[in-house]
Amino acid sequence: MKKHRLMCVLVAILILSLPLFGGGKAERQESLIVYAYDAFTGDWGPGPALVQAYEAATGIPVQLVGSGDAVAMMSRLIAEGKNTRADVVVGITDDMVKRILDTDLLISYESELLAKIPSFLQFDETNRLLPFDYSNYAFIVDSERLERAQWPTSLESLADPQYKNKIILIDPRTSSVGLGLLLWSIEHFGEGQWLNWWQAMKQNALTITDGWSSAYGLFTEGEAPLVISFTTSPVYHVLNEESTRYQALIFDEGHQVTIEGVGILATSKRQDEAKRFVDYLLSEAQLDIAIANSMYPTNADVQLPAVFDWAPKPTRSISMDPERIAQHLDRWLEEWTEVMSR
Amino acid sequence: MRKIRIPQKRGFYYMLALPALLVLLLFFVLPLLITLSAAFTDGRGAFSLATIIKTFTNPYTLRIMRFTLVQAALSTLASVIIALPGAYLLSSYSFRFKRLILALTAVPFVIPSILVVLGFVIFFGNNGFLNLFLMRIFGFSEPPLKILYSFGAIILAHTFYNFPIIMNLVASYAMHLDTTLEAASYTLGASKVRTFFSVTLPRLVPAIVSAATLVFLFCFSSFAIILVLGGGPKYTTMEVEIYRQARMMGNTAAAAALSLFSILVTGLLLVAYNKSQRRLAQGELYRDEQRAQNRKPASLVGRLLALLYTFITLLFVLAPIISVVVRSALSPAGFSLKWYRQLLALELAGSHMGSALPALLNSLVIATVVAIVATSLGTGLSASIARRTRSKTLLEWLGMLSMTVSSVIIGLGYFLISSQFRVGQSLSYLLVVIAHLVIAIPFTLRAILPAYRKIPLSYAHSARTLGSSAPKAFFSVELPLLKSAMASAAIFAFALSMGEFNATLTLSSATIVTLPIVMYRLIGSYNYQGACALGTILIIVSALVFLVTARPKGTRHGI
Repeated sequence: MKKHRLMCVLVAILILSLPLFGGGKAERQESLIVYAYDAFTGDWGPGPALVQAYEAATGIPVQLVGSGDAVAMMSRLIAEGKNTRADVVVGITDDMVKRILDTDLLISYESELLAKIPSFLQFDETNRLLPFDYSNYAFIVDSERLERAQWPTSLESLADPQYKNKIILIDPRTSSVGLGLLLWSIEHFGEGQWLNWWQAMKQNALTITDGWSSAYGLFTEGEAPLVISFTTSPVYHVLNEESTRYQALIFDEGHQVTIEGVGILATSKRQDEAKRFVDYLLSEAQLDIAIANSMYPTNADVQLPAVFDWAPKPTRSISMDPERIAQHLDRWLEEWTEVMSR
Repeated sequence: MRKIRIPQKRGFYYMLALPALLVLLLFFVLPLLITLSAAFTDGRGAFSLATIIKTFTNPYTLRIMRFTLVQAALSTLASVIIALPGAYLLSSYSFRFKRLILALTAVPFVIPSILVVLGFVIFFGNNGFLNLFLMRIFGFSEPPLKILYSFGAIILAHTFYNFPIIMNLVASYAMHLDTTLEAASYTLGASKVRTFFSVTLPRLVPAIVSAATLVFLFCFSSFAIILVLGGGPKYTTMEVEIYRQARMMGNTAAAAALSLFSILVTGLLLVAYNKSQRRLAQGELYRDEQRAQNRKPASLVGRLLALLYTFITLLFVLAPIISVVVRSALSPAGFSLKWYRQLLALELAGSHMGSALPALLNSLVIATVVAIVATSLGTGLSASIARRTRSKTLLEWLGMLSMTVSSVIIGLGYFLISSQFRVGQSLSYLLVVIAHLVIAIPFTLRAILPAYRKIPLSYAHSARTLGSSAPKAFFSVELPLLKSAMASAAIFAFALSMGEFNATLTLSSATIVTLPIVMYRLIGSYNYQGACALGTILIIVSALVFLVTARPKGTRHGI
């Protein structure tokens, strides 16, 4: 009985799957294939609306392919190498860029729109990856749990004993946001000093989570009044909860930046369409992407809606040379782990 | 005693293992071997043993390995201790809420780990229900209970997650133990307590060890719970290190070597377990009717204890779950059913709440198929392991292997599969179902195998002697005896599939949207309350399904 049922189910699944097996292939021939991370491609992300608008404007059909998160997407691209069917890749961040720039998978594109993008955002000198949105890492404060007079004003002040168990941090070994703070501290305090800061922060950290999601969840549950996140985080609460309870803290010393780039595959046979797609991303699509991703647009001409007043731009953006990151990251993470687990 | 030999019988049992073997070999072992082979390279593709040697002898790795083993062992021990009284109550007595309790045991598995962590924090946290309650009653100005962010919190959360499995598996096994031995013990004048410890407990050991193995492996590869609730890098497990190497550093070779180390250590433990299990498994009377269906705890003390235990476990299991439910309607901003209105499409949603209902349908279809197929495959595999003499250790190990491998490494393996076939949505469905099968098979095996081992060989032999074929003997004599074990297996397979996230995302290139995927998306876009609302729907639907599955079928007159 059981066995027969099992066989029926398996056979049914197999048969059902056959017709669509061939169905996907036809599409491949004509559409521009765009690889993007999962949060970009789904119904909820900026992807579908962008594709629709782009198709309407240019008549070029686009197929979005989701590939997990940004790191998984990059690994996939590198694994596929020259055999990839992707024409464009969207969403590779500046801190992880070395691995893909070491290959010759991407081709340089000197878009005219680069003139509208501030130079501090152009993280790839070879223009194989063009910045399309960005944000800054920042500590978010819960104004109902911490009086304004007590708000920290710099990285240094965060290490003050008054914030004992009041900060939620994220592990740089498992999260890009955690890594962002690690790089920020190294840039700010320098090689000799950054570990001392972490030593002090260890006392103040309520916990160090595996990823941004659990950190921010703990924060909004009221576990601690400070969390590492983005300057753009308050926007969600203003838009959806009509609440200005959570605010981004801007430090004078500047904030580590995270930039998302788009690139064209060297193997693509549709270079012109790919370039048009990139240009579209850097111009008409800028505002929609910024709002959907809770990021800033890179194109300086774009006017942001009023709600972005709650996402204050820092006066200074700090970024680190990808070469330097790739060279030292392993050692930094080991030293960090050593200090934090003592 | 002379061994009875019945010709051609083994051939059939060999065959029963085939479907499970096929799935495991093709869709798990093969991609795993390809991924793990990276451990034998120097990172650039050339053969080298350097990575392996460095990993296996690095004091840091050894320290992490020790911690991983210690926390898994302690978590398992705590889970067993909490689970045993419950298993005893469930199998010996009938009382109110019994079915509900059995149905709830699998619920933690359907909730993605991030919601479990949140549920814990909402209940036990500094600003959690428990502390707020105590502060209001006793007028403390600071939260009095500092439960979270410590080693104890890790054990607490693991116990919450896992003791229900042990309770369920041991209870469903114990329900079918013959009670004549206990009766004999009472007749000989032994007390209830004495009888329990000297007669009942020893016979439960195979089921306990079997379930505990599962829990041990589960805790061994735990990730989010350990980092978040433990409080940070002080408590680093192998899984975190593998993640760092594979994802942050892009160093597949190092990740594969670490994973190989984990597989070897857990593999050795499994071999030791197998040895002990074989010694313990001897055929004994196995009853079809559930024992003591309608017995009520006799003494007042017994009744009170049962009540107290039920209350505490319910509180323990339900607290984080209820926290999620409460949080779905009650935010720091106040009470609101906004998210439910959006989920039911009564209100236009700005985000991806609209995809919730199709996602629920997807999840239900996939989980139902997975539950049926995984239970069938697990039964076949169990039959083969219980009835074959040769290579059963290998088979059993293979059946557990997917639990010993880091999910990051499995992810890399799936990634290999999905880059081979990346066409057609139906094929994606098939791949997702198969990936869920690989994850569910160890659980179905653990649920069914101990029960199978208890079926005396003589039953099938008698059937054969009376002229039935080997398949007939299997289907009409042995299978009916496994009903309650198979129901447990199906429930856990269903729950695992409902809650699965990573493999689904990797294998479907995000084209198949299941409930956990929508939940992660909501969380990723700051909407924790929407995720809790969706989690509530997931909990209710699953609990209903389990309630139906766990319903005692009409008593049959068997042997």
